[in-house]
Amino acid sequence: MTSRSRRPLSLTLRVLFFVATAFGVSLAVISQLLLSSIEHHFIEQDAGEINVMVNSIKKALHQSPTDTLKNQEALSQAISGHHGVYYQVERNGVVHYSSSDIDFRPPTTDFPVVKNITASTMQTWRNKDRGYRGIVTLITIDKNQYRITSAIDRDFHQGFLKKFTQSVALILFGAGILTLFAAWLGVHQGLKPLRGLSDQVDFIQTDKLDSRLDMHSVPVELKPLVQSFNHMLTRIEEGFIRLSYFSADIAHELRTPLTNIVTQTQVGLSKERRAEDYQELLYSNLEDMERLSKMVSDMLWLAKSENGLITPTFGPINLQQEVQSLFDFFEALAEDTHITLAISGDASNISGDRELLRRALTNLLSNAIRHTPAGKTIHVTLVDTDNDMVSISVTNEGSTILTEHLECIFDRFYRVDPSRQRHGDGTGLGLAIVRTIVEAHKGVIHAQSNSHSTTFTIHLPVDGLSH
Amino acid sequence: MRLLIVEDEQKTGDYLKQGLSEAGFLVSLARTGLDGHHLAMTEEFDLLILDVMLPDVDGWRILQSIRESGQKTPVLFLSARDNVDDRVKGLELGADDYLVKPFAFVEVLARVRTLLRRGQAPAIVDQLQIGDLILDIPRRRVTRQGKKVNLSHKEFCLLELLVRRQGEVLTRSLIASQVWDMNFDSDTNVIDVAIRRLRKKVDEGFDVKLIHTIRGMGYTLDLEHNDD
Repeated sequence: MTSRSRRPLSLTLRVLFFVATAFGVSLAVISQLLLSSIEHHFIEQDAGEINVMVNSIKKALHQSPTDTLKNQEALSQAISGHHGVYYQVERNGVVHYSSSDIDFRPPTTDFPVVKNITASTMQTWRNKDRGYRGIVTLITIDKNQYRITSAIDRDFHQGFLKKFTQSVALILFGAGILTLFAAWLGVHQGLKPLRGLSDQVDFIQTDKLDSRLDMHSVPVELKPLVQSFNHMLTRIEEGFIRLSYFSADIAHELRTPLTNIVTQTQVGLSKERRAEDYQELLYSNLEDMERLSKMVSDMLWLAKSENGLITPTFGPINLQQEVQSLFDFFEALAEDTHITLAISGDASNISGDRELLRRALTNLLSNAIRHTPAGKTIHVTLVDTDNDMVSISVTNEGSTILTEHLECIFDRFYRVDPSRQRHGDGTGLGLAIVRTIVEAHKGVIHAQSNSHSTTFTIHLPVDGLSH
Repeated sequence: MRLLIVEDEQKTGDYLKQGLSEAGFLVSLARTGLDGHHLAMTEEFDLLILDVMLPDVDGWRILQSIRESGQKTPVLFLSARDNVDDRVKGLELGADDYLVKPFAFVEVLARVRTLLRRGQAPAIVDQLQIGDLILDIPRRRVTRQGKKVNLSHKEFCLLELLVRRQGEVLTRSLIASQVWDMNFDSDTNVIDVAIRRLRKKVDEGFDVKLIHTIRGMGYTLDLEHNDD
């Protein structure tokens, strides 16, 4: 269960979380914009009304500037018919008139005096638990200075805004739930092809490795996944087929000497024999057992190298010298079979495992000697190729290897002619070992054959590991 | 020469004892680590052959214990464990050689002889002689019954190896590694061909044959031998 806690969040949750965040943020911004534009509209409306109010008050003040009583009466009439509007007029610092007995002075005393009444010059304040929005303006008539404070009750608009905000929040909440549900549905439906793929993958067993996932029934986003998966299946299938052939080959290769040993021993023991016969039997068994032993150690070597247990020890190698010393080794055999060994070309020194490369080249040369008719020549050619690579070619004159065999010639126990028994020497693993060694050096090997010669070419990086 | 083999695997122990006894050694065989340890501590041996994996006291500990007690007897390890770390561990603990199972008996014999020879001062000789065959090492010349035998460089090296290890059975892989520096089993019969050619030059036309094939094992050079 511990692994579960480390598992990344489910796809559905991720999408829902993302949608919820994006939706929440955008709705919050939109509703905030909406609310503030409504509020701004109210403020502009208020500014317009106050403008009208101030003009009426100024008009009233002009009607009878000297008669205080008449003046106050005119002020009380000035804004008849307007609701929720309040004003206070001070003359030379003394309250001259005040609508509905409100004294605005403590909060508004320090307010700046405004000439142009706009939304931006409006002030808000509270007075006796009511909220107001208004302005202070000055007018001088006949040496009397009038300070006019005009205000509109804000609470009405605020109440509206509050209710409006609540409705918006409710709508947003509902819309949010709906959106999340829609997103969940979308993700669930969107992942349907994945569930389909999963069913298809479930169906693949080791005996159905030739099946492939249907590339056309998946959305375009899943195509790379399906493609990679199908490629993986191809590789597994190839490996699996090779492995089954390999097991069959091993069984065959081991069975032959084992059968020899068992049969010979049984026949040998079936009746009393001369000492020399027993000796002969033991020698014969020994030969078969040595062949088995060699085969097992070669297979073990291949298995180890495939599991990365054999790592090359890199050092500088002079290929010319190496080939020459291999020629020394094969000299007697070559002379005996009337084959000439020739080296041509020159290649840079490379970095590699001397022992392993010697083994690889020995296998190639012994293979070549085995397949070269007497009187012919084996050419080893060393060439520096592009991209810091060297190539080592071993060419022997002799019979052709058909193209279909060339592809498999590096496989373990591969026989060019399935009906023919292997030559006495060699375990059938020589070329597989060569390829493994070349690959351990990050190189490649290939074989080509025409009507009169066969060439194996190894390409190796000069500096060992960089390619 | 007294040898002690500590080996718990019955067949391996028996055939090692038989083979080494027949090669002229006086062989004691211990089947457990405890017995082996006791024998090694109480009796004098010229060489110990120790298996690593033993039921009670393992080979490492026997070696450690006898080295701590100051004994310098050469030790040859036999083990099924073939990774480098184990070999290094064995050699660091003071083993003189390490042989990985499965091994060829002739190789055990060769290594035993080498280990026993070690310690004796190597004779620096200019001339090796066996019967009427004389090798002039510095001049790389070979004569038999006074007649010059023409050998190539590698043929001389091969003959020198056989003469120096007179009477020992040399496996093909040992010959390949000593003469051509090929330290792996190759698929070829190069060694057989080389020996055949050498034999032609050294033995053909002489009554006494020096180079002998030990079928299934390798080659040996000796004055007297029942050839197969």
